[in-house]
Amino acid sequence: MAVNEEALMWVEKYRPKNLNEVVDLHDIVESLKAFMKNPKTMPHLMFAGIPGTGKTTLALCIAHELFGPTWKNFTLELNASDERGIDTVRERVKDFSRYSRSGFGNVPFALIILDECDQMTGPAQTALRRIMETSSRTSRFILICNQSSKIIEPIQSRCAIFRFSKLDKQAMKEQLQCIAKKEKVNLLPEAAERIVDYSEGDLRHAINALQTAAAYGGVVDEKTVSVVVGEASPMQVQKMIRKALFGDFIEARKTMYEIMGSYGFSGSEIIRQVQREIFKMSDLTPEQKADLSNVIGEYDYRLTQGANSDIQLSALLAQFAKFGKAIGETY
Amino acid sequence: MVIVLNPKEFKLPRVEKEKFVLLIRLGLDYNRELGLFSIKNYNNIEKLIDTVSGILNTEVVFSQTCIRCGKDFPCTDCKYNELCTTKDLPFSCVCPKCLTDRKQFEEYLEKF
Amino acid sequence: MSNDLLWVEKYRPKKIEDIVGNEEAKAALIEWLKNKRRSKKAVLLYGPPGVGKTALVNAASKGFGFSIIEMNASDSRSEKAINEVAKPATSYVALDNFSSANKGKGNLLFLDEVDGIAGNEDRGGVGAIIKIVEEARVPVIMAANDPDIDKLRPLKKVCLLIRFHQIRIPLIIALLQKICLLEHVKAEFEALERIAQNSKGDVRSAINDLQSLAEENHALILQDTMALTSRNKDISMDDTLRGFFSTKSVTEASSLLSRSNVDYDEFIMSVGDNLPRRYSDPEELAAAYDFVSQADVFRGRIGTENWHLLKYFFNALSRASAVAPESYKPFELISPPIRIITLFWTKGKRTMLDGICGKIGAQCHVSHSIAKHDFVPFIKIILQNTKSSSLIPWFKFTPEEVDFLLKMNRY
Repeated sequence: MAVNEEALMWVEKYRPKNLNEVVDLHDIVESLKAFMKNPKTMPHLMFAGIPGTGKTTLALCIAHELFGPTWKNFTLELNASDERGIDTVRERVKDFSRYSRSGFGNVPFALIILDECDQMTGPAQTALRRIMETSSRTSRFILICNQSSKIIEPIQSRCAIFRFSKLDKQAMKEQLQCIAKKEKVNLLPEAAERIVDYSEGDLRHAINALQTAAAYGGVVDEKTVSVVVGEASPMQVQKMIRKALFGDFIEARKTMYEIMGSYGFSGSEIIRQVQREIFKMSDLTPEQKADLSNVIGEYDYRLTQGANSDIQLSALLAQFAKFGKAIGETY
Repeated sequence: MVIVLNPKEFKLPRVEKEKFVLLIRLGLDYNRELGLFSIKNYNNIEKLIDTVSGILNTEVVFSQTCIRCGKDFPCTDCKYNELCTTKDLPFSCVCPKCLTDRKQFEEYLEKF
Repeated sequence: MSNDLLWVEKYRPKKIEDIVGNEEAKAALIEWLKNKRRSKKAVLLYGPPGVGKTALVNAASKGFGFSIIEMNASDSRSEKAINEVAKPATSYVALDNFSSANKGKGNLLFLDEVDGIAGNEDRGGVGAIIKIVEEARVPVIMAANDPDIDKLRPLKKVCLLIRFHQIRIPLIIALLQKICLLEHVKAEFEALERIAQNSKGDVRSAINDLQSLAEENHALILQDTMALTSRNKDISMDDTLRGFFSTKSVTEASSLLSRSNVDYDEFIMSVGDNLPRRYSDPEELAAAYDFVSQADVFRGRIGTENWHLLKYFFNALSRASAVAPESYKPFELISPPIRIITLFWTKGKRTMLDGICGKIGAQCHVSHSIAKHDFVPFIKIILQNTKSSSLIPWFKFTPEEVDFLLKMNRY
C-alpha cells in the first residue's frame, strides 16, 4: 500500500501516487497506461462518477507518471466551484500555459486538472471548450465531474470518457482494514461494515470516518461508529434522508434541525448535500434518483425565493416520505 | 387643584441644580432666552410628569392639540378620558368636536 | 376576504405623515436618520404591537431613500441578511451617504422582534444583538414589543431608545372614519367607537375588525360589533392555529387568517411544526407541506414592501389546511414554534471558515465546498479528541482557527 508519511490526513497519507499502486480500477488503469505509452497522442480526459471513487487520485497519478517528482510544476489543479467564474479559469489557464510552455521531457504538454465541472453553467462550459481548444497545443485537460450528463456535448466529444463506479463493499472493507492495521488501530469487522454502509461507496468518506472514530482512542467498534455518524454532518444528511424515505418524517425533521444548528449550514448548502447523497445511494434505481433529483431541484429554487429554509427543507422531506411510501421500499 | 400645562412651552419655578439636571435627563428642553421648558423626549414621560408635579406641588396634566382644528383642549373634555392609557400626556389627538362633526371631517379629507 | 386586498395593506402608511399617533417618536427617528454624525449607530423602537413601529421604519426609509435589509433573528431569513451585512466594504456604497440628496443609495439594517433574542440566553442574549450592531456596516433600526424594558436596558449603550405608545381612541376613530369614506362604508359612529375601544391602541387590529365586520354589506351598525372579543396575542395564536387546522374549507381558513391578529411569520412556522401532527398520511402531508412551501415563497417575495401579495400568501396557507378536512382529529399543538438562530455566523466567522476550507482544500486536493461538508465535520471531532493533533501543523491552522473549529457547536 502506498504511504505518504508526511501527510497526516489518512485520505492523503494512503492515496496512491502511481498507477501501479491503485487497486480495484483495473480496466481504467490499463487504458490509461496505453494512452501514456505515447503521450503525444493522449487526448483530453474526462473522469465521471460518484464522489470518493478515485477520480482525483487517478488524475494526480497521471501527473506523477508523466512528470515524475516535480509534477507540481507542470500541473494546474482547479476547482470550478471555487473559482469565481469562467474568466478566472481562463486567466489561470493562460498564466499557467505561459510558464510551462514546453512540457517536460517527451511530454509535450502540461496538465490541467479541472474538478467539479458539472457545477459550471452552460455558457461557462462553452467558454471552457474554447479555452480547451486554444490551449490544446500546450495543455491537456483532465475534467472531473460527478454527472457527465451535465457536461455539454462539444466538450464530451473532445474527451476520452472514463466512468468510475462505486467501489464494492468488500473492497472498501479491505482498504479500511489495511489502513487500520498500518495505523495500529483495532477495527472490528462489524464497525467496518457500518462505516462502509453509511459511506455509500465513497471511500473518502469512509477513510475520514475511520480516522475520526480512531481519534476517540481505543477499539473502533459499532458504538464508536454510531457516535461518529451521529456527530458528523455528511452522515447525518444520509440519516435524515433515510428516515424521511422510510416514513419517519418527524425524526427526519429533527435531524434536519440538528444539522442546521450545528454548523450553520444554509438551506441551500444542505439541499446540495442532499442532492449529492441521493446520487450515491445504492438502494435507489437511476430512474428513482432522477425523479427525486427533480423534486430536489424544485425546492432548491423555492428556497432562493422564500423566507424560511426550514419550511422548504421540511416540505422536501415530506415529498421524500411520500416517495418512499410509493415505491414501497423499506430501508 | 389641577394645573394644565402646554407641552410646547411652560414655566417652572426656579429649582436646585440637581433637580434641573434630572428634568433635562427625563426629557425636557430649556430655552434660556425665554425661560420656557418644552418636552423633547417622551421615553420617560410618566416619570417626568411626576417630577414636574412634585415641583409644582400639585397635580399636573398636559393639554392636547387637535390635529384637525389645531386648538388646544384638556383631556377632561374627552369622552374616552377614563379609558385612555395615555391620558393627560402631551400627545396629539382629535378634539371631541372634530370627531363628531361630519362636515368638518369631509373638509379635512379634501386636503388629501 | 381573499378576493380583494386586505385593508391593513391597502391603507398601510406609505409616508411618514400618514402614520397615526406617536408624533414624538416619528420626530425622534427622523432626526436620527437625518443626522450624519449620530452618536449612536442604532435605534430601538419599543412599544405595544400595531402602533406603527414597522410602518414608520418603512415609510421613513422610503422617504429618505434607503433600502432596508430586514433581519428577523427568529427565522432563517436572517441568513440572507447576514450575508448582506457581511459583504466586504468595497461592495457597499460608502456609509456617509446619509443625506436625502443621495436617494436610493444607502442601506439600513432592520432588526425586528429583538426582544425575542434579548430574553433568551440560549440564543445569545443581548450580547448577540450588541455584537450585530457593532459589526454592522450600516445604521441599525431595531423593534421590540416587550414592555419589559429592563431586559433591553443593556442595549442603551449602543442604541437610542424611542418609545411608542398605544394609539388613542379618538385617533383610531378618525382613521376608521377615513377608511369608511374611501371604502364607501356607511358606519354608525358608535360602532366605530366600539371597534376603537376594543382594539387596545392597536391600529392594525382595529382596521382588520372593521374590514371583517363591514366589508360584506358596506354598512356597519353598533349591533354588528357585539361579536368582537377582547384581544390577547398569546391566546390568539393558539386559537388561530386550532381553528386553522380543524377548518372544513379553504374559504373558512382564509377568512380566519385575515381576521386574526397573529404575526404571519410566527404563524407559518407554527404551521410547519404542527403539520405532521395534523396529517399522518404521507401523501396528505406532502401535499399540505407543498402549499406551505408556496406560501413561504410568497412571504419571501413580499419582503417588507410588496404587501399586495399577501392574499396569495393567505391563499396558499389556507389550501394547506384544507387538504383533507375529513381526516382531522384534535391534537396537541406545538407552540411557540421551534426556531433556528444563525446569528453566530457573522462575517468574521464565515471568513475564518473559508480560510480553513482553503487550507484543507490545498492539502487534500478538494474544493472549498467539499472541504466544508466532507472534511470540517470530521476534523472538528478529531481535534476535539486529540488536543495536540499533528493535523494542526500539517494544515497550518492558526490557534484562532483551531479554537473556532473546536467551538463550532450546537446553537
